[in-house]
Amino acid sequence: MSVSGNGSGAVIEYQNVYKAFDAPVLSGVTLSVERGEMFALFGPSGTGKSVLLKTTIALVTPDRGDVTVAGESVYFGGRDVLERIRRKVGYVFQYAALFDSLNVYENVEIGIPETILKGMSQKEVAHRAWEVLELVNLEPQQVLGMLPSELSGGMKKRVGIARAVAGHPEILLWDEPITGLDPVNTAAIERLIKQLSDELKVTSLLVTHDIEGGLDMCDRVAMLEGGHLRFCGSPEEFRMSSDPVVTAFGDRAAAQDALDTLEIS
Amino acid sequence: MSRQSLSALGPSDLANRAFAAVGRWFSLVAEHAGQIALLVWHMGVACVRLRVTRRDILRQLHIIGIQSIMIVLIAAALIGVVTSQQGGYQMQSQIPLYVMGSVVVESVILEMGPVLTAIVMIGRVGARITAELGTMKVSEQVDALESVGRDPIEVLAAPRVLAMIVSMPLLVSLANLVGITTGMISAQWTLGLGSETFFYGARLFWHSYDMFYSLMKALVFGAAIPVIAVHMGLRTTGGAEGVGRTTTHSVVFMTLTILVLDALFPPLFLN
Repeated sequence: MSVSGNGSGAVIEYQNVYKAFDAPVLSGVTLSVERGEMFALFGPSGTGKSVLLKTTIALVTPDRGDVTVAGESVYFGGRDVLERIRRKVGYVFQYAALFDSLNVYENVEIGIPETILKGMSQKEVAHRAWEVLELVNLEPQQVLGMLPSELSGGMKKRVGIARAVAGHPEILLWDEPITGLDPVNTAAIERLIKQLSDELKVTSLLVTHDIEGGLDMCDRVAMLEGGHLRFCGSPEEFRMSSDPVVTAFGDRAAAQDALDTLEIS
Repeated sequence: MSRQSLSALGPSDLANRAFAAVGRWFSLVAEHAGQIALLVWHMGVACVRLRVTRRDILRQLHIIGIQSIMIVLIAAALIGVVTSQQGGYQMQSQIPLYVMGSVVVESVILEMGPVLTAIVMIGRVGARITAELGTMKVSEQVDALESVGRDPIEVLAAPRVLAMIVSMPLLVSLANLVGITTGMISAQWTLGLGSETFFYGARLFWHSYDMFYSLMKALVFGAAIPVIAVHMGLRTTGGAEGVGRTTTHSVVFMTLTILVLDALFPPLFLN
């Protein structure tokens, strides 16, 4: 099992990452994501996918190990390095995590790093907000003044994505972006993920439960199981894998997808 | 563990358990103390580096200071009335009535004004801060702030603490003024004590230092309440239930802290 790709150099590297809360969550995960690739991370619930994603920008600090982003250490580089790394990364949260007291415009504006924001006029900021809202297929004129409580679930996710891309990041981290969405919105958000990754030429690391969507969209996939990396390879290798755990997980997820579709129809 | 199985334990087991419980308690206290010290340090650095925006401070001053005026004034008015009434009842025909002026003024300024304003602010502002930040924590809004390179201490914590430190002395001053005024009016209506006699009594035992003491209390309480509220809010876990639990703990923690600080003031500053 190769934990690194064959592309143009690793942009994110997890090196022997350990994390325990009450029980171990990550038990020595080593993995790298290549520049420009779309990478999906699968795994059963509670297996540490989101925790691993959060270690990328120090939202969760590992007990052991390190993460490097664009060659710089997240945990041993100091505050300035961490700030620089965070400016390069856009993070899309599972439930959007929009700021309740701010309207859509302010939520998007806050996604622009302070150092860039200081050099922009109000007009340029407004233009940037307008641009990214259009990019995520929202009608800026309609939503700019709305509060998060006035938005639907799908719209909140799109605003969350707009905030993540507002700072023109090099890397996008997606934490289960389709959780809680109906099949129509799921398909729309997945199209958007693919479109944004292609148009913005960013590196994308996607944590998802949607196996088929992830296999279709991504260049490489990995599976975490019990805090360990169980699989890492191309979508074809995942589909052809003879590992019984990988096969069982893929089959169970496919069965769940079918059930969901039946329930909806 | 059941009562029966507890009784089956020997004295050394019980002693071990007691030591373990005490150890856990000290460990928890040390953890809170350490985190609060770091929080205060971090906020101090944010203020010195001018990382706290005027817009955030003004917004919090409005929420914490301006919007609290009415409830603080109502509480202060009632405090003045109650102090005056109870003082009058205890002094009936035994102590000259003009002493009432001193009783009301000193009680309100030294104790009732700052402490009851602090208790009102714990419910009105402290609980709000913990619940607000706790909700932001469990809904990943605090993580979202960090992910976009903003420091939650600079954006969320420092403006609230600064606004409270500025607001509390002003609110306590207002509470003192209103408490004394209502105490005087109440004494006039129920005891027939004129305002001149009331102020004659008040002047007899008045020290200018008392006002400074009252404002010092206000300043210390004004710092303690939001620091605890922010600390508790930012360590919230466990969804909606966790927010409720943490807010309750925070209110208990803030109330006890205010009462302990209040008990420390006389030996430290009145002797």
